[in-house]
Amino acid sequence: MIIVMEENATEEQIVRVVDRLIKLGFDIHRSTGSRYTLLGAVGSRITDLRDLELLEGVNKVVRVSAPYKLAARAFNPEGAKIEIGDMVIGGEQVVVMAGPGVVENREQMETVAGRLASHGVRVLRGGAFRTSDDPYGFQGLGEEGLKLLREVADRHRMLTHSTIFDISQLALFARYVDIIQVSERDMRNYALLKELAKLGKPVILRRGASSTIEETLMAADFVMRCGDHQVIVCERGIRTFETYTRHTLDLSAIPVIKKLSCLPIIVDPSRAMGRRDKVPPMARAAVAAGADGLLIEVHHDPDHALTDGAQSLTLEQFDKLTDQLRVIASAVERTL
Amino acid sequence: MAEENSGEKTIDDWRIRIDEIDLELVRLFNERTQCAIEIGHIKKRLGLEIYSPKREAQVIANVTAANSGPLDAEAIRRLFERVIDEARRIERIEASKDKGSEG
Repeated sequence: MIIVMEENATEEQIVRVVDRLIKLGFDIHRSTGSRYTLLGAVGSRITDLRDLELLEGVNKVVRVSAPYKLAARAFNPEGAKIEIGDMVIGGEQVVVMAGPGVVENREQMETVAGRLASHGVRVLRGGAFRTSDDPYGFQGLGEEGLKLLREVADRHRMLTHSTIFDISQLALFARYVDIIQVSERDMRNYALLKELAKLGKPVILRRGASSTIEETLMAADFVMRCGDHQVIVCERGIRTFETYTRHTLDLSAIPVIKKLSCLPIIVDPSRAMGRRDKVPPMARAAVAAGADGLLIEVHHDPDHALTDGAQSLTLEQFDKLTDQLRVIASAVERTL
Repeated sequence: MAEENSGEKTIDDWRIRIDEIDLELVRLFNERTQCAIEIGHIKKRLGLEIYSPKREAQVIANVTAANSGPLDAEAIRRLFERVIDEARRIERIEASKDKGSEG
């Protein structure tokens, strides 16, 4: 990092900053300019910048390296490839994970999974512990839901994806779920992340609606530091002043995270847009922008879905979208 | 390139001289560094800090006072700040090697 001293900083103040930096384990490159003295602090340790900003005579402190390490591009310049069976997330293929928002019953899961599998979709999503914003809404089938998800996925040779909400659910997820998703609200639930990392399964970390890219990658670092390197970042919309859509899908996060991080990034247009007619355009845009995967809510009868029918694509809409995504993927040298 | 007036040194001549001086500087830098390393060991033994701001200021004062140009005092100061930075770094590395004795 670089410390810029105030124009009128005294030699004593400069010496005190140098001394602090040396005690923190940095090597110093001092450059006394005609007006400003710059102190380059060389070393790989991560420091709370505020400790230095508070020292007398310091004008500003500029971080050069990122505050995350394992999730950084430099840690794995080729990009992390997360292998699950014979499927790879972060490779050439854009991985589509689709299914209903919540598991309702066998008929629903069979109908949706059958159609998805016919398009080559390899991951079946389905919520079982819905924490709906509506306290009176359907809360999910719990273990029964996960069991049903597993059974149907197995029959169609698909992997399972579901969202965990609490440490008490870990054993169930270890048993039934292949790709475990952490909700945007839990991105910083470090107690949950720590325990989840112990399962050693692929983890999808959803970017919080008010979290910066840097904060998201720091959360990813936390999971990786706890021993699970199979982390996938998910962009699902951020809070902006726009109220027409539920959230603003930050597609710019895709190329930014690709540059800053070695981790795969997938996009959830269903959640961000909140209305099914707005989902396909953003799904197409996400693939065009370089997303490694998509999370799409699909329901065979969305008008009668128990939750979030409005943001679920119909099977016919999904058919059409898949055809379009195939064309877009090949245009950006990917496959679907 | 066309030959310049006979008797005057060419660019190549000056570069040969610069290369000679650089080699001499490398030798001197290392000789200076060896002194710093020795001081580092003594400081370690006596439990003194590696960072001696007073001594660093004195070094800068010495070299700028002795300077007769064409580099100005600020340029000399910046060059020697880098020399001091590296001396401090190697003192730290050397001192950390004898950590065992300190416990």
